[in-house]
Order: sequence, then C-alpha cells, then structure tokens
Amino acid sequence: MQTLSIREKPGFTEWRDLARDLLQREIPPEQTLWECGAQGALALGSTPCAETREKAISSFRVSRTFLELCELASRHQDDQRYALLYRLLWRLHHEDRRLLARATDDDVMTLARLVKAVRRDAYKIKAFVRFREVKNPHGEPCYVCWYQPEHYTLELALPFFTTRFRNMRWSLMTPYRAAHWDGEALTLEDNPDPSRYPAFDEVERYWLQYYASIFNPARLKVKAMSGQMPQKYWKNLPEAALIPELIRRANPTQSSVNPLRPARNTAPQRESETPPERADPQSIRPSGLRAAKSDAP
Amino acid sequence: MNSDDLAKKLAILADAAKYDASCSSGGAGKRSAGKGEGKGLGSLTGGTGICHSFTPDGRCVSLLKILMTNYCIYDCHYCINRASSNVARARFSEQEIIDLTMNFYRRNYIEGLFLSSGIIQTPDYTMEAIVRIAKSLRQDHHFKGYIHLKTIPNASPALQEEAGWYADRLSINVELPTSQSLALYAPQKNLNVITGTMTRLDDRISEARAAKKPARYIRGGQSTQMIIGADATSDKGILSASVDLYSRFKLRRVYYSAFSPIPGGGSALPAKPAPLLREHRLYQADWLLRFYEFQLDDILMGADGDMLDLNLDPKLAWALRNRQMFPVDLNRADKSLLLRVPGLGARSVQKILSIRRYHALRWTDLIKLRLPTQKIRPFVSVLDYSPPVRLLEKDALETIIQPARQLNLFENAS
Repeated sequence: MQTLSIREKPGFTEWRDLARDLLQREIPPEQTLWECGAQGALALGSTPCAETREKAISSFRVSRTFLELCELASRHQDDQRYALLYRLLWRLHHEDRRLLARATDDDVMTLARLVKAVRRDAYKIKAFVRFREVKNPHGEPCYVCWYQPEHYTLELALPFFTTRFRNMRWSLMTPYRAAHWDGEALTLEDNPDPSRYPAFDEVERYWLQYYASIFNPARLKVKAMSGQMPQKYWKNLPEAALIPELIRRANPTQSSVNPLRPARNTAPQRESETPPERADPQSIRPSGLRAAKSDAP
Repeated sequence: MNSDDLAKKLAILADAAKYDASCSSGGAGKRSAGKGEGKGLGSLTGGTGICHSFTPDGRCVSLLKILMTNYCIYDCHYCINRASSNVARARFSEQEIIDLTMNFYRRNYIEGLFLSSGIIQTPDYTMEAIVRIAKSLRQDHHFKGYIHLKTIPNASPALQEEAGWYADRLSINVELPTSQSLALYAPQKNLNVITGTMTRLDDRISEARAAKKPARYIRGGQSTQMIIGADATSDKGILSASVDLYSRFKLRRVYYSAFSPIPGGGSALPAKPAPLLREHRLYQADWLLRFYEFQLDDILMGADGDMLDLNLDPKLAWALRNRQMFPVDLNRADKSLLLRVPGLGARSVQKILSIRRYHALRWTDLIKLRLPTQKIRPFVSVLDYSPPVRLLEKDALETIIQPARQLNLFENAS
C-alpha cells in the first residue's frame, strides 16, 4: 500500500506529480491511500524523481479537459477526491480513453458532481462577497471582505475581482487564504486574520433597506429563494438577517409555522462587535458524498 | 450619503420599482474598466450576469432597480403610481442615484443599475434626466457595469436613441397585449408609439452592428413587459403578441407580470389578482417557443377557449394531445423529438445524445441522470424498458404524472 500525502490547499499540482509517478510505476488505485493536509513522514519514499516524471509524461497523455476537471475537483472538501482522480486516471489509461463521455459511470458521475459543486461555490463567491469600506493609513478607501467558501475556491474567483475592481484596493479573506489587491498586483496570504474585517460600513444600511423594499411580499416563494441561496451561505450575507422577519410579515397567517427550518449555526454574526470566528477550513463540514473521515491519522 | 431622508426615498422608490419583473444583467457581452490613471469601475462578465442575492419571493437581485421618481402625470389604471393614486411620493436627485449605484457596486452588491421613472412635467423632461444620469455614470465616473434604462413612452426619438449609447439594455413596456386594452386602461399610452420606438431602436442596433467598425449600442437589446389578467386577452392573444414582438423587433425578452389589484384601482379593473400560476404557464410556453422548437399552434391547438391549462405544463398538455407520438425511443429519436418529451430539458437531451454514442441507455441510466422518472415513465422507452400500453391510454394519466411537488411550489403564492 502506498500512502500519498497532499499538503497544499488546493493540492492539484502535488496530486498531478504524484499521480504521474504512480501511473508510471503501474501502481493500481487499490494500492494507494490518499491523505489531505496530513503532517508527517508517511509520504516519504513516494516523492517522484524528475527522471521518472519525464518518462510518465511522454508515455501517457491525458486530455486538457480531464486535467481541468481534476484541477477543479481537487478544490473540493471531499476527502476522497484524490483517490477518485487517480482511479479515473488509471481507468482512462487501462480501461477506456473515452471514459469521460460515459456520463452515467459512477466515477465520472462523482467527478461531475465535485466539479459542479466547486464551480457553483466559486460563482457564489462572485455573487455573495460583501465588501466593507475602511480607510488605510493614507486615508485611501480599501474594501475588505471576510468570506467563507465551502471549498477551496478563492483562486477561481480572483480574475473576476481583479477585472471588475481593478482600480480599487481590496482584500478578500477566506479561512484558508486571503487575496490583497493594491490596484496593480495581487498578494496572497495564508490563514489571514479575520479580525481585520470591519464590523461596520455606512452604506450597508441602504443595501438592507433596498433588499427589504425590493422584496414583493405578495409573491412569497421561500423554496425558490432557498434553492438559489441556501442557508449555508447566509453567514456571508448581511441582508440574510432580514429574511425571517420579511417572511413573517409577508405571511402573518402562518406565523406559527416558520417556513424555514430552525436555523442551525446561523444568527449571522455580522452586526456584532466581535469579529467572526476564525474557522479552519478543515472544520467546515464536508457536504460531500462520502463525508468525513478525518484527515489526520 | 448619510441621511435618513435617503433611506426613506430608497424605501419608496425601490418598492415602486418591484413591479418590473426584469432583473436580467446579461446578454451584453464582455467589458471592463481600463488600466489608465486608476480610472473606471466595473465589468460585464459575458453570459447571463450574476445574481447577487435572492429575496423571499424567489427573485434574483442583480441590479439596483429603482424609479427616479414615482410622481406621475399619467393615470394608467393598473399602475400603483398613477396620478390619482395616493401612495407616498418621492424623488431622487440625479446625484443620489449616481452615488447609490457607485457605492453599491463597489461593495459588490449589484451588477449595475435598472432605472425607470414616473413621468414628471413632460415625457422629454423625464427622459432627459434619465439620460443625464446614465451619461454621467459612463462619462464622469467611467462606470462599466450594467445599465438598463426604461424608455419613456412619448419622449422624443432623439432622446431615446441617445439613451442607447449609455445603456446595455433599453426597455419599453407594452403593458397590455392589445391596443384596445391599452386605450381602455392607459389612455395616455399608444401601442403604435411604443412599437414605433421599438422599430427605431432596432434599426439603430442593426446599423451599429453592421457598421465597418461595429459600435457598442444597446448590446443587451430590448425587452418589454405585459401585465397578465388585467384585461380579457386570452393566453393565445398574449402569446401571439409575444411571437410578434420577438420576430418584428428582435426583443430579447418579453416579461409577464400577473395583475394584482391595487388600492383604488378603479372599477374597470378586475377585483381579483390573476393567478401567479397563469404567469408561470405563459413563461413555460414562451420557453417552448424560443428554445424547444414549438410553434404557437402546437401549444394552443385544442386548448380550452384559447387558454393554457393551469393544471398541466404546456409541454405535458401537448404530449397528452399527441399520445400517438409516444413512447419515444431515447436511443433512436432525433433531437427535436427528444425535446418534446415531458420531463426532458434541453440539458438532459444533450446528455442523452452524448451517452448514446457510447452505449445504449437503460433505465438505470435515466435514474442516474436524475431525470424525473415518474413523469417520463409513460413517454419513453429504453433498452430494457418500454411503458405498458395502458399507461398511455389511461384516462387518469394526468393524475399519475402530475407531480405533487409542483403544486406545492405555489402553495404560498395562491
């Protein structure tokens, strides 16, 4: 049994190098055990040397599409993702080069599901980031956000922000990594300090007012809203705190029955004085299919 | 921006704007602010734009959708802001709208601005103000986000055409599907004037595109909105009007808005709201016409009194009237026939076409594709399944395939 350890978040490059080496050495997926984020020496001896890597590249090529899908899937929280990706690589090599076209194959379906979840999560960053304005020591405005994505998707959303807000200074902080833009260049920082997220923004009250006023209480469709904006995202959204009250006022006859499930873990912390808790992404529950076996040994 | 006054205006003028169904911020291609001198803000991502939030009515919040003012000299019966209504009134200054847009945009709340207005003083006076706001956003603030402007009916053609240089989308509401209804309920509006504006703008759009160096002119095209159920027009009348609008003026979207009674709306109007389900069925039919290769006759042939069946989605209703076409063999049927199967969307059809190049579909494949197997059961056959004949012949077919879930969706709305 080979134990492979991936330290980076997300760990696509590491996985790719390890996988090339394993494939080159004809090690079947059943004999591999993939670990994420683990510390320690288990991975020793499996580091590929440059020579075998070169051979592997020349002996087997995979489509660009497959690699792109792997890159996306490797951002998922699911512990089994690297094992899945290697199994797919193995099967592409030994079983069927057109495997990915078989949309109802179990592994292909799982890959599709991971990729879809990651893409959606990255889209939701673009949608749900709410900057707050602060002044830096030079008195210039900076826009700061603390955002908790479900997967390791920050990097996927960055081109959007550097394009749209090119001429602003901004910081987008997530539990595993922050991106800081000074108008010209991007700096990445691991494990940022969420207390730098300001507790107040003077424009936010107008946004809340707008949100409450543009809602049409005559057309209450809570399910349709929750489908697009599930409660797991509410912690990132200042306006989400208004939702229960808006529903209650729109539908006073049903006030005894809250159409929303009692909120676990919600009560958006946004308005409190205390900064949001720093969450280790590993502690964010994987929504994944074969959920959490712990990463650590 | 720091006064309670502004918050109050926002409450009134956002509330007044929510009767416009459009929230789209897409279809206008890509664009972004340049590097030069730190100027400019914003981008268009291409595709359909981004929904930044959702309100409990299930609608997307993509644009800052407001009226410049809800004072109005017109007296359209169906409109909450008509001259004789006694709603609270407010008016934004031009600077307030610009500041709100820029401040909201910088915080990533919105994709841009959707600006409409009641008509004050004269149509031209109102349209001039709208154009000035858009022009300032573009030229003084180098704003590259989305701008959707409502053109004011009866404003001068030159102003409407100028608006096109700043807007990604222009819309003008036909409001009611026939000129008779418009005369009855909106005496100051005239269908010929409205369609005249659409024609002129469409001509300008074509010119701009055909130019040697194509100009960016209303890249997101035109859209419009019709109120459903305020007058007696049938679904056939409404859909015919839509087909006409789509083909004559190349409209991007026709929005349907179910009429809901407003305080003191006058005796000419119905006292009851039109069912939201009717609006939903019209959207479904609209989709079939635009993306599923259906013709108007397919949808309405045999329909009861030219009305869509409220209990059945129009595709299912068509299938039930054309049972001889089924079951459809998913392994052999061509694309246009697959698109006619109730329960198969355009995406599922694409997947089916892709899979069957490699192997024949079995029932388990349909389950894995997460197709609504209960709904498609009577209509399809695959390698190891074909429906019992009685399933298609049974008179009670409707009750078998009508999923309870679909009714629940509208529980709250009725």
